[in-house]
Amino acid sequence: MTALLKLSGVSRSFGAIQALKAVDFEIGAGEIMGLVGENGAGKSTLVKIISGFDDGYTGDFSLNGESRRFSSPLKAERAGVAIAQQELSLIPAMSVAENVFISGEHAPVFATKSSLARKASPFLKEVGLEDVDPYIPVERLSVGEQQLVEVARLLAQQPQILILDEPTAALGESDSIRILAMVQRLAQRGKSIIYVSHRMDEIFKICDRITVLRDGQSQEARTAKELDVPSLVELMLGRELANMFPAHPEILRTKPLLEVRDVWPDGTLEPFNFAVYPGEILGLAGQLGSGSGDVLAAISGARQSRSGRIIYNGESFLAKSPKEAIARGIAYCSDDRKLDGLFLGRPIIENLTSPALGAISNRGIIDLKAERDLALSNGTKFTVDVTRLDNEAGVLSGGNQQKVALGKWLAIKPKIILVNEPTRGVDVGARAEIYAKLRDLANDGAAVVFASTDIQEVTGLADRVISFYRGMQVGELALSDITPTNVLQQITHPFGDEDKQIKVVS
Amino acid sequence: MKNIKHWIVKNPDLAFAVLLAICVYSYFALTNEFFATHRTGYAIMERFAVLGLVGLALTLCIIAGEIDLSIGSNAALAAVIVVRFTDSLGAVTALVIAILISTLVGAIQGYFIAYLRVRAIVLTVGTLMLLRGVALFAAQEKTVMLTDFRVPDFISTKMFVYFSPASLLVIAMFIVVGLFMTFTRYGREIYAIGGARKEAVAAGIDLKRPMIIVFAISGLCAGLGGCIIGLRSGTAQALGLQYLLLAGTVAAFIGGVSILGGKGGVVGAAIGTLTVNFLNTGLVFNVTPAFMIQLYLGILLMVVIMFQTGSRLFEGHERRKQLLSDVDIRRLDLLVRKNAFKPPP
Amino acid sequence: MRSASRGMTAKFEGLVQNYSGLVVALVVLFLVIFFVGMATAPNFLTVFNLKTIVRDAALVGIMAIGLTFVTLSGNFFLLSLKETAALSIIAFATSMSAGYGFEISFLFTMVIAIFTGSAQGVLIGLGGNPIVVTLGAAGLLYGLGAYWSDNLVVSFRRPHGAEWLGTGSFLGLPNITIAFILIAIVAELTLRFTNFGRQVYLIGANRAAGRATGHENFGMAIKTCVIASVCAAFVAIAFSAQVSSAQVNYFSSEFGSSGDMTIMVIATVMVGGNSIMGGYGSTIRSSLGAVFISSVDNMMVLHGFNSGPRVLAVGLMIVFSIMVFALVRRGSRSQE
Repeated sequence: MTALLKLSGVSRSFGAIQALKAVDFEIGAGEIMGLVGENGAGKSTLVKIISGFDDGYTGDFSLNGESRRFSSPLKAERAGVAIAQQELSLIPAMSVAENVFISGEHAPVFATKSSLARKASPFLKEVGLEDVDPYIPVERLSVGEQQLVEVARLLAQQPQILILDEPTAALGESDSIRILAMVQRLAQRGKSIIYVSHRMDEIFKICDRITVLRDGQSQEARTAKELDVPSLVELMLGRELANMFPAHPEILRTKPLLEVRDVWPDGTLEPFNFAVYPGEILGLAGQLGSGSGDVLAAISGARQSRSGRIIYNGESFLAKSPKEAIARGIAYCSDDRKLDGLFLGRPIIENLTSPALGAISNRGIIDLKAERDLALSNGTKFTVDVTRLDNEAGVLSGGNQQKVALGKWLAIKPKIILVNEPTRGVDVGARAEIYAKLRDLANDGAAVVFASTDIQEVTGLADRVISFYRGMQVGELALSDITPTNVLQQITHPFGDEDKQIKVVS
Repeated sequence: MKNIKHWIVKNPDLAFAVLLAICVYSYFALTNEFFATHRTGYAIMERFAVLGLVGLALTLCIIAGEIDLSIGSNAALAAVIVVRFTDSLGAVTALVIAILISTLVGAIQGYFIAYLRVRAIVLTVGTLMLLRGVALFAAQEKTVMLTDFRVPDFISTKMFVYFSPASLLVIAMFIVVGLFMTFTRYGREIYAIGGARKEAVAAGIDLKRPMIIVFAISGLCAGLGGCIIGLRSGTAQALGLQYLLLAGTVAAFIGGVSILGGKGGVVGAAIGTLTVNFLNTGLVFNVTPAFMIQLYLGILLMVVIMFQTGSRLFEGHERRKQLLSDVDIRRLDLLVRKNAFKPPP
Repeated sequence: MRSASRGMTAKFEGLVQNYSGLVVALVVLFLVIFFVGMATAPNFLTVFNLKTIVRDAALVGIMAIGLTFVTLSGNFFLLSLKETAALSIIAFATSMSAGYGFEISFLFTMVIAIFTGSAQGVLIGLGGNPIVVTLGAAGLLYGLGAYWSDNLVVSFRRPHGAEWLGTGSFLGLPNITIAFILIAIVAELTLRFTNFGRQVYLIGANRAAGRATGHENFGMAIKTCVIASVCAAFVAIAFSAQVSSAQVNYFSSEFGSSGDMTIMVIATVMVGGNSIMGGYGSTIRSSLGAVFISSVDNMMVLHGFNSGPRVLAVGLMIVFSIMVFALVRRGSRSQE
């Protein structure tokens, strides 16, 4: 298959961090190429370069044999390359149809809301949104529906090469299958698709070839037939799965440390109830939009709830702001460290001491030595590179940033540690370090509750798993029952398998 | 009737603007016998010609999530240019030159705001002063004056009782810009970068185009407004017209534009400008000193802010209700399935 | 102190790595123009002239220091500083002319400033946009001041209790200059070494992260607005002491060749390189910005230019420095 798109020796660094090291990548016409790799391996960086969102790379880039360089997404789209990103790029106040056509060459210059709705309808139909009112603002859609609108926008740009970055992360079983069928249809029509996903079953279902990225380096693309899940995982990690996660200790579940009673966060479908025991790491499994992360935000006061309370330390209450939770030794780290987990422009030392200014100051005046000691001690505990404490947090790699985002909470000596997506965008090495530290914290008597969409992470780290599906709490798994299959089943089709076997429609 | 109610709920800020306009007008019409006359109507429209332009320009900038602090200086520069060159080149040519320059100035600012990724308020703080300096230069530190004051009289010829070529041109601009913002892709881009800048950039929108368009329009409005004032009065001062910025901004907010960007429109700009005009003219008729006019304007703005804050809180409350009810609908469907499901033994 | 300089070297290292050709060219051009201007201006580098520069920068500088707290905390700008000064100057002069003496008049004026600052701070802290809230407040404050004084001049006879501030000097420097220097030092120390200062930077750098770590903007908005208003009131008092009179429009027309105090103060904060988004910068930068603008203006005067070129030069320098800082920041932000 002659390559339609070919990258050779592409490198990209951000400051001192090398995100891509001499990566080779190619894809042919009508081919579905799977792009897989660990968190932080460089997938997002690579697809940003291919789709024109990033221009700061070195290396060769050719399309149809011609050397090209896309300095903007518009230029990429003109050349026939478009992307449906993982991160939010919908304008919340605008309607579904307006969002489908907000960018791209094929958007009509003159249009009324109704003409846009008409033009958008075939694309919305293709992704399964034909029943959604094209006039309503996208902020009213569920996360899964929003993801589908992004794919519809991609289709409206009518590209030759499509890039789908985790398109099914928030979708249920039937919606995911529909997307896979759509991808196969497009490939049959001669389009090329780069499919980025963590879902092994999807990768093997539709991809012709698979390229693996590991620590910023690429490997030669292999055909899907040559590989199976274990060999693919080994290529991705470079080491065996088991080594990353610390051992599970025996946990005495007599008296809960924290009880969640009828907490009903906004946006979820029902109130949640569960208990957390000292010394345990509880995993909340669920896809995007399942509510697993929302309940953690609600407990810590970062998100509003309709009702509910937690019982902790003899008190029955629900924190109305993070300040109240912090005062009681409850730490919460959200899934988006850039949004509210880090002060990127401030030095690392300030980040590490930010939740506990009282502890490092005397009558309002900061004790510089106390500050440095605290930052050093907590930073070292989380294996942050402490020689550069005065540098801005923004210069750190994803893994180190996450360590700072988590590590800063040590400053309040928390008894309850709530983390949403503990290793998002973090490379393998740092992941293992973070897992080890969370285990240590639990072993010291605290309780760790984490929410994650990464099945591998949930399976490996949790002592117990509670599953969520589309805003509902649907199941619980004891340690012996925690397997990838069980977890996947509970979070994608907990109510039986009537959705499961749908044939590919051509 | 129901349709009107529905419209009010969907556009609370605009509805309030209309209400304010009616109230202010009625107050002065009832308390001053000279207010509701044809002549006053004409005077109001003449004022509208300039203030409306500035209100329109600033409304657009605020919708795009920015603001143009240099609009007053740009207008003053245009006024100086048009007055200086009318004698030698004729009013129309001088007008065209002045407007071309002010539009170009605006477009260049828009380009740099996008390219440097700097907030407009920061850049225009500097260009405000820079343009003032250029205007001083162009006027050679003097007040420029026409030699023949009758030359530009044509722009003020009374037409259709209340209007003149100037005000009709401005109304035409409102219509064109309004259609542009509502029905073209470029208009939607401007709303997008204002209301959701990060998402818009992530969607692949290039900031340069909407920024250049918005600030070019702002420059055009400033230039046209400055020319109208310059030609009408026959004089121009390089340091003048600074009040336009404040008046235009107040008019924009009264018209319902949101400082958060992404909301507001041309109709609001027109209504807000008219309201400010009514207030201004009415107070002048009542022989109110200038500083009191500013005070009343401040109070009017505060009233609008209170309303907008309240309306935003209400909107947030409604949105939450909507979200919860959307959730309840989805809930029903899934709970049925959950309860029907029997787990295997 | 050592950690601060370590921080600066670290930052400088980061900057150097990311210079682009355009930035270097602009900075070089910038410096060349400035130094040539300085070298060719007659009597520029005399002690007397340098003292004049700092003195001329003092009033705007003090207001800029106050505004910097607001900007650093992410609350943008207050557009009501000029009007706060207008109301304050009337309050002070009215009290002085009624015979209450300096201490009471000072206290009285400050109480009013604290009150108006808090009111604006509350609205901003509740979520109101600073630009809109302070725009409205500006009209109200000015109107109040004008109403109170019937728009007339209020004067009080010399010698009066505020002579030392207005026209006095100490160790060869005018007292107003000393006040400027002291305020700049106190402000900088507060920002660097107190809890409050740290919170200003954290909340400014990332309001959401600030909230997540227990620092809410509500209290911060009030405190920073009060600081800015108090600085504006202080400037008003100092100016009134100089001219021993007050009129509500003093700050609208008396200041510098550009005439608009609000714009000058905002420009000063920006010229220093403070980020409008908050979380980056310092009051020392604003003070240096004030001195810089004052020196450009001074240079032009020494060269014999009148107001046109002066305003042009100041405007050009402001735009220049804004561009340079924006480019540098853009370069260092290349990692998304």
